[in-house]
Amino acid sequence: MKKHLLISAFCLGATGWMYGQTFSDAVMMKKQEICFALLYDQGSWDQYWEGTQLITNENIGTFTRSTVMPMVVYGITDKINVLLVTPYVKTQSTGGQLAGVQGFQDLNVGIKYEIIKKDFGKHRISALAVAQFATPLSNYLSDYMPYSLGLGTQQLTGRAIGQYEFNKMIYVRASGAYVLRGQTEVERPYYYNNGSYYTTMMDVPNAYNVQAILGGWVLKHNLRLEATYQIMNSVDGDDIRRWNMPQPTNKMEATTAGFFAQYYFKTVEPIKGLSLIGYFNQVLKGRNVGKTTEFGGGITYQFTF
Amino acid sequence: MILSTMKKIFKISLSMTLLMAAGMGCDNELPTYYTFSSYEFSSLDEDGGTWQPILFGSASDIVVDAPAAVNSTAYQAELAELKSATQNLSGSQADAVEYWTNNPIIRWNEIALELAAKYNLIPPPNPDGTYTLPSAANPAGPPPFPFAHPPYTSRMLAYLSVAQFDGLIAAWHYKYQFNRPAPYVTDASIPYAYTKNSLPSYPSDGAVIAIASRDVLKAMFPLEHEYLNGLAEEHLNSLKWSGSNTTSDIEAGIVIGTAVKTAALARASTDKMSSAQTPKPVSDAIKQAAIDRFGWWWDNQESPVRPVGLTPLFGQVTMWNVPNVVDVRPVPPPAPGTPEFEEAAQELKDMAKNLTHEQRKIANWWSDGLGTYTPPGHWNRRTKEYIVKYQMNPLRAARTFAYLNMAVMDAGIACWDAKYYYHYPRPIQTMQGFKTILGTPNFPSYTSGHSTFSAAAAEVLAYIFPAEANVVRDWALEAAESRICAGIHYRFDSEAGITQGKAVATYTIARAQADGAD
Repeated sequence: MKKHLLISAFCLGATGWMYGQTFSDAVMMKKQEICFALLYDQGSWDQYWEGTQLITNENIGTFTRSTVMPMVVYGITDKINVLLVTPYVKTQSTGGQLAGVQGFQDLNVGIKYEIIKKDFGKHRISALAVAQFATPLSNYLSDYMPYSLGLGTQQLTGRAIGQYEFNKMIYVRASGAYVLRGQTEVERPYYYNNGSYYTTMMDVPNAYNVQAILGGWVLKHNLRLEATYQIMNSVDGDDIRRWNMPQPTNKMEATTAGFFAQYYFKTVEPIKGLSLIGYFNQVLKGRNVGKTTEFGGGITYQFTF
Repeated sequence: MILSTMKKIFKISLSMTLLMAAGMGCDNELPTYYTFSSYEFSSLDEDGGTWQPILFGSASDIVVDAPAAVNSTAYQAELAELKSATQNLSGSQADAVEYWTNNPIIRWNEIALELAAKYNLIPPPNPDGTYTLPSAANPAGPPPFPFAHPPYTSRMLAYLSVAQFDGLIAAWHYKYQFNRPAPYVTDASIPYAYTKNSLPSYPSDGAVIAIASRDVLKAMFPLEHEYLNGLAEEHLNSLKWSGSNTTSDIEAGIVIGTAVKTAALARASTDKMSSAQTPKPVSDAIKQAAIDRFGWWWDNQESPVRPVGLTPLFGQVTMWNVPNVVDVRPVPPPAPGTPEFEEAAQELKDMAKNLTHEQRKIANWWSDGLGTYTPPGHWNRRTKEYIVKYQMNPLRAARTFAYLNMAVMDAGIACWDAKYYYHYPRPIQTMQGFKTILGTPNFPSYTSGHSTFSAAAAEVLAYIFPAEANVVRDWALEAAESRICAGIHYRFDSEAGITQGKAVATYTIARAQADGAD
């Protein structure tokens, strides 16, 4: 599978928004090709931004979010792919006495459409659009940040992707997405969000995401390497108040740099559908999120149906 | 080529947008205050002026001058001014009339709850691991003053409600002594925005509420003067925009509001709250006394450790209706290590391991922790809803809040007395590695504050709203259970808290039954 799974468990409480950028590369499955993937992701932080102030909290200590992601991608046609991911998340911390949680987070389904793929000699330009929908798989509590499994709301992401490949060796890619989020139902009948709210519903802020990627192929086109830079920002929301718990209404922002590698065993006959993925991400700048260091990796297997 | 690509992109964007719109719907507007309209009062309590106030011997202790006669030139000029004020209201003026309603007690209670939630933030550690506590002498801090924790909030609400109640008893006394009709009765051309009734208009009950509430809350939240002044000004103006009161009605109301806030704040200044948060040596001595008496002790489990628990001497604050806090002190809890203790501890471990969704929901529903309006606020919110449901007039509403909040504050004092007398360790202290789903507060375990506050509140509400007795008592039991579900209290903490809260409420209710309102 040639999917770039840039999974950033970077938000303080929830990875619910990370799937906004899951399907963001320029590569397509051909018609009737199917790909299964299993990835493991671990993000940790021991500092977080309370509003814009970076702080440590010994009552959390080091926070770790581990995610196992089973994933399927299928080529309906050469130009239309469908994608499905069901992450299983586990959270815990080394400090304090709050219990971590684990369970299936959200069902993520996406449709990816290749609008343009045009070769100019050895160069290629492509443009794609992705629509993605996520909805909680269980009644997990979103209002238990940073431990909560996710944001506990439906999310719709629209993404545009453009890529230019030079000599089929080096490419640059940019993508932009807007994430529409609904409300999340919490279990307390009142909360404060720059004022009183007499309801169990919380507005989860919408967000946008932009990515810039520099990539290239080495080792006879078997190894793909990418350097990534991206911004994921809520468009509104409140700040975590001083020494208070975060909540799903927060304005979460993160700027992340990372590195990604994928090796394809294309020429090794018995396992030619196989690839291995490894990646690393670091949150550089944020607001109401953890300063997450994240690594992940996994295996993908692709074949024609 | 370019054109067809553009078309394609446009088509895809359009369908994506439609898909999104269909999938998400529009977010509902979330309620930030209780939505209700002006309503007809179930009774006017014409004899309300004879009721026994809390801080005064009788209503006539507050002196209000007789108003000008209805046919006097001065009053006729006031009516003309009022008539003009009710004409051509701007959008924001009309909104203000709609917001404040004919029972503005509701709004000031909500404002108090909002400020409680705003200020209910625990002081953070300094970089060197020490803690700086909020100081009334330096309210701006950091940290800001106050930390509106449950004892602070219970006390704030009690003074607010008592001042409103005494003020309205005085207002009713003079209303029915002077019998000045409402402006729209004297001059039919003056519109009235609310449901009409025969309540005399002098002094303005709205003005009493505005001034008493503003000034008690200003003392309780010294950083909010500007905000509160603005609210009170809008409220006073709305009394004219709505056609409720003329200038002299309002001025007489201000006289009463000022008198009751002065009495309330005088009591507050000497109720010993200012010494409730002790220095470390005093706190250590309290802990040592428990070790000497019982052999166990509570320690804060946070990092860095908070050197002093929350308000160790809140148990010595002057009570409203209980003669002596020891009268409602519970029997000792089971010693750690005894079979009775082990059974309670095992229950917590089993529950944490197999927590049901229902139990999690109960824990969170009643969590009322940091950053919220606290358990006293939760009960005020439910009380507010009953006041509207039963169409209480402002005096009846004030009485309800006053007895509720006196009981809740007394319950807090009684609970804090037990907490620091017994100094009992929390589950996270006695059970190594035990994890909870809510944060454990910075004070000892026995008795449970939620249980004590809630039982006292429920008993008062059951007395005032007998038809709701079963409902409110069930709520109190659920609030008590919620702390067990969360893993932060043993069952015996909650059970003793319920008993203690009920005991406190018997004193409150006895006083209420004798105040002339029943």
